Amino acid sequence: MRRYLILRILQSLIIVAAITVTVFVVLRLSAGDPARLRAPVFASPDVIDQYRRDFGTDQTILEQLTRFLWGAVRGDLGTSFRFQEPVMDLVLVALPRTLALAGCALGLALSVTIILGSLAALRPNSIWSVLATVIATIGQSAPVFWTGVLMVLFFSVRLDWLPSGGFTGVSSLVLPAVAVALAIIPTQVRILRSSMSAVLKEEYIRTAHAFGLSERRITFFYALKNASLPLLTVIGVDIGYLLGGVIVAEVVFAFPGIGELALVALNARDYPLVQGITIVTASIFVIVNLLIDLAYSRIDPRIRMERT
Amino acid sequence: MNETMLDTGCGPRPARRTGYLRRHEIGPGLALGGVLVLAIVLITLAAPFLAPADPYAPNLMSVRQPPSAEYLFGTDAVGRDLLSRILYGAQISLIVAGLGMLGSLTFGTLMGMLRGIGPRWVGPIVDRMIDIQLAFPYVLLAIAITSAVRPSVPVLIVLMVLSGWAGAARVVRAIALQESGKDYVKAAQIIGASRLRIAVFHVFPSVWPSLAVLAAMQTAAMIVFESTLSFLGMGVQPPTPSWGGIMLEGKNYITTSWWLTLLPGLAIMLTSLSLVLIGDGLDLRAKRLRQRAAQT
Repeated sequence: MRRYLILRILQSLIIVAAITVTVFVVLRLSAGDPARLRAPVFASPDVIDQYRRDFGTDQTILEQLTRFLWGAVRGDLGTSFRFQEPVMDLVLVALPRTLALAGCALGLALSVTIILGSLAALRPNSIWSVLATVIATIGQSAPVFWTGVLMVLFFSVRLDWLPSGGFTGVSSLVLPAVAVALAIIPTQVRILRSSMSAVLKEEYIRTAHAFGLSERRITFFYALKNASLPLLTVIGVDIGYLLGGVIVAEVVFAFPGIGELALVALNARDYPLVQGITIVTASIFVIVNLLIDLAYSRIDPRIRMERT
Repeated sequence: MNETMLDTGCGPRPARRTGYLRRHEIGPGLALGGVLVLAIVLITLAAPFLAPADPYAPNLMSVRQPPSAEYLFGTDAVGRDLLSRILYGAQISLIVAGLGMLGSLTFGTLMGMLRGIGPRWVGPIVDRMIDIQLAFPYVLLAIAITSAVRPSVPVLIVLMVLSGWAGAARVVRAIALQESGKDYVKAAQIIGASRLRIAVFHVFPSVWPSLAVLAAMQTAAMIVFESTLSFLGMGVQPPTPSWGGIMLEGKNYITTSWWLTLLPGLAIMLTSLSLVLIGDGLDLRAKRLRQRAAQT
């Protein structure tokens, strides 16, 4: 187990390093000269050179990369052009909000999935099964931004129940979280329903029935534990999809998280900020994937045995 | 009548399937999705003939008119006919999603096959590439890329391929790995068939049904993705009409002019919904056909 753990952590570190280097090199090569973009239009060559020295772009790309990596290791991701503040500070303000939103959305989606998916598998010809199919089909085809806009139209403009955007407390989380949850529920319901109906046919479930355990206990305790394994994988794999949805929802609801910051940075051609956000988020993803992998072996002892 | 009598004479038999749809296991969802997609494609191709007005011609005398007999879908902020813009927007959406799907499936299949059948040393490399690609939030990838390159239709297609290939590769990899352990592949190896030959002639036929499902699902996802990017201002640039772009322009008037956001959204949803119906239907069909093959 320990050997496996070390190997996985090492692998994750290499992936993070690879992403960092790729993002840095690609942005540097394609972005053009930031000094020319930032300097006044009729600036003299001297002034532009001064800007270059400030940005550090007068050095070769290898030197820049080394300097950037050395800074990144110590938590310094450079300075934002637009805000004139360390990128790390900006990211650290926005990140907790994004994570809160993603967490709420995931929690909401999982609760709905577990109830709906289990019921649909348990009673294949019931209204629950139909509901699961309808939600899975429609939810998959409705874009996050559209459901978001519709909800703003209905709950904020018509009914005036919830804020339409911004960040003014917990109530600001409700609409974006629901919008994101609606987008990720379909895949989860599909997976849980099919794995649940497979698990419910297993012999140990029949044994549990024979022992006279209640159906609720069997479904939500015995069957769910095994049926949730594929679900866990999907959550781990689709975590990029989840954050993609969160970013879109942030823009629609003007929620000041990472996604909004990234879009502001994009429109301002603020490369250090885009770069910093990309690297930080990608690293989070790698870590989440690692954690899910480890959680996987916690739930299923067979995997633990295999890997040791 | 005659047939049923013959049947009873031959002992118990599975119920004879009647009708074309039944025989080919085409369920109601698949049929409905197929008809809808066909209709949408035809309407899109015929957009120049169907559109009641020029999608680029502003008319400042009729700005943000609600849907009426004159303007079936209403008009936008500069008085352009919304129905015409949605019709022309469909062309961009379908082209980007269609080409993106083709690219993503081609690349994804190649990588998945390489992992499943190819030399052993490429395995971990392809696996890590898929992991990285799937872990990377696609919208952020789009932001990073469009911050470097000006968004255009080819850039959008590349983004579609980048966002989709790993999903396809994962499915193909699973099938290829499963098949490569089977006896018929081993037999082919023993008689000296090359890896390429095994991949193309022996394993690919098993991948094919899943590829059809993936094609429908990915096109649906890409229509949503393209409109999302356009809605965020990273996709098709104005004044070219695109479904997401129309909604972006309409977002500012959401309280007064609901049709500017509701109708293009419905177009997106209807299109991807019918594609999802096809995907689900094909999936179900493959399962039923397998069951039937197992019975006989």
